[in-house]
Amino acid sequence: MKTQTLENMKKFLLLPAIALAFVSCSDDDVPVANDVTLEFNNTFNGKTIVLGDATSSDATINTSVEGQVHHFSELKYVISNIILVKEDGTEIPYNVNDLDEGATVIDQSKEETLEYVLNDIPTDDYAQIIFGLGVRSDLNTLDEVSNPGFYAEAGANDTQMHWEWGTGYRFTKIEGFYDTDNKALSFHSGSTVKASEDDENINVPGFDAYREITLDLPAMAKVGEHSPKIVIEADFDHLLSGKTNKILLDDSNATPSAHTSVSMSQYVDNIGGNGSSDITGMFSVSEVEN
Amino acid sequence: MKNLIRSLFVFALLAACSREDTVLISYENPELELEVPFGFPEFNNSVYTNKPTKYGVALGEKLFQDTRLSADNSVSCASCHIQEHAFADRNAKGIGIEGRIGLRNTPPVQNMAFMKVFNWDGNIRVLENQPLVPIITHFEMDSSILEVIGKLEEDPEYIELFNKAFNGEGITADGIYNSIAQFEYTLISANSKYDKVIREAGETFTETEALGYQVFQDKCVSCHSTELFTDQSFRNIGFPLNSDHEEAGRSRVTGAVEDFMRFRVPSLRNIAHTEPYGSFGQFETLRAVLDYFDNGVLEADNLDPILKENNNRIPLSETEKDQLMAFMHTLSDSEFIGK
Repeated sequence: MKTQTLENMKKFLLLPAIALAFVSCSDDDVPVANDVTLEFNNTFNGKTIVLGDATSSDATINTSVEGQVHHFSELKYVISNIILVKEDGTEIPYNVNDLDEGATVIDQSKEETLEYVLNDIPTDDYAQIIFGLGVRSDLNTLDEVSNPGFYAEAGANDTQMHWEWGTGYRFTKIEGFYDTDNKALSFHSGSTVKASEDDENINVPGFDAYREITLDLPAMAKVGEHSPKIVIEADFDHLLSGKTNKILLDDSNATPSAHTSVSMSQYVDNIGGNGSSDITGMFSVSEVEN
Repeated sequence: MKNLIRSLFVFALLAACSREDTVLISYENPELELEVPFGFPEFNNSVYTNKPTKYGVALGEKLFQDTRLSADNSVSCASCHIQEHAFADRNAKGIGIEGRIGLRNTPPVQNMAFMKVFNWDGNIRVLENQPLVPIITHFEMDSSILEVIGKLEEDPEYIELFNKAFNGEGITADGIYNSIAQFEYTLISANSKYDKVIREAGETFTETEALGYQVFQDKCVSCHSTELFTDQSFRNIGFPLNSDHEEAGRSRVTGAVEDFMRFRVPSLRNIAHTEPYGSFGQFETLRAVLDYFDNGVLEADNLDPILKENNNRIPLSETEKDQLMAFMHTLSDSEFIGK
């Protein structure tokens, strides 16, 4: 009996050694992790947006379902809380609790911000990406002490993604023009909700503008030997002509006060989805380059 | 091996010694006794979780006066929150660094220990969350908390005061927020002529003041209720509208249509010293506010029901206005405003 146990033990000890040998043979060149690059392509119906001032002749002009022409002079949004999902459903969160390492401001006027590199993603095949448009309420406190990097990036003079009075970040900032007479179009979104609703002593009954986006990849992102690039299209045609709302701009809703009071949620649902029947909003993955 | 163990042992001893040294520095920092004045509501919860202490309040007061909280060292909290105006100022809208003009009228800082909701639109429910807002707002101090901490760290007096106030923790962001809130909790105004009349502490209303108190109870108290003289509700009372496109009243916070241009009912304490009036200083005098109510306010879908039921006005005779003015002056607390 005793000898048998010993023999078994030996076998058990051998097995991992053999396994190890195989691993090191076959995957000699494959690293345990690699980068994944997210590329953001901001478009109107697939046509990459060119920004321009009121009278610009270069700016990309879009027409809403209500027939209103419009174009943008400024276009920014925050991406955070990024999660890559493996084929088997396992989620690999990417610094989801650290805005410095896991969040970024996409700014159409700065080409370098249109690519965001996720470092050290474990070698595997990925079928889905989840990310947040905006910042989760629990992290949305303008905490410069904890996140000095993101705080500075978002708050820079040319970015202005701080929402000071709400002690949170702006999630989206769009400036532009609409109708043939180029009236000002200005859309800012952000959350005002603070703390949890069950603590009425500290809860500020506010609006939650954060949206989680879930996108299926058209092809597997094969991380390992390759460092794939996932091209995410953000189609801003959805802003006025979304799956949820069709918006006709006028004096009452084209400027920030009206957005915050009345229609911010309509715009947010259009670009970020309503969180239930629509979890993609304006986003889709147009390409995976392995 | 023995030697190694011995030296480790000695090292452990040394470490224990030096740790004890730091523990020995303890900070004597007594809690302040705050009393709930006669008839006032209970303190809000934060007063118990961030209890005002001797050095916490001293630190908060020093920070409140310190212009280093602003980007160019030109503006302190006290620049707009001036004691003789019940910690408000005389400007229609707040003025920050470089003369930048803000969105709204500076609110008085008084009786914060009893308030459940702060600012014109109630965007703050916990006072400790407020100090950051003016520090970072472009048209107020336009600084950042790390910039402020950097400046304070150059001042040994602050390092000592923070240590005393927060048990040796040094200069921290929370220390800044908590000490300023502690100082503000001590700004209690409850010793006006009105209070002395109510407490039967040797004062009586004149005949006009007494009649004014009667008018107040007939026509004002449904909103300006409790000893705080505000029910802390949000109402659209049809005041002239702020044309700044950022302004939406309470709905800027809640995103709700029904909250459009609703503002928190202001306290009437020390009201004679906080002109101009209204969310962006629409009215230069108290009399102008009363005249406006009498003449009729702006129509709105969500106009307060009390006004709707009264043809969008609060009718007041000239005599009643005189009487109300006299009564409102009895809410001035000369001790609180320091004159």
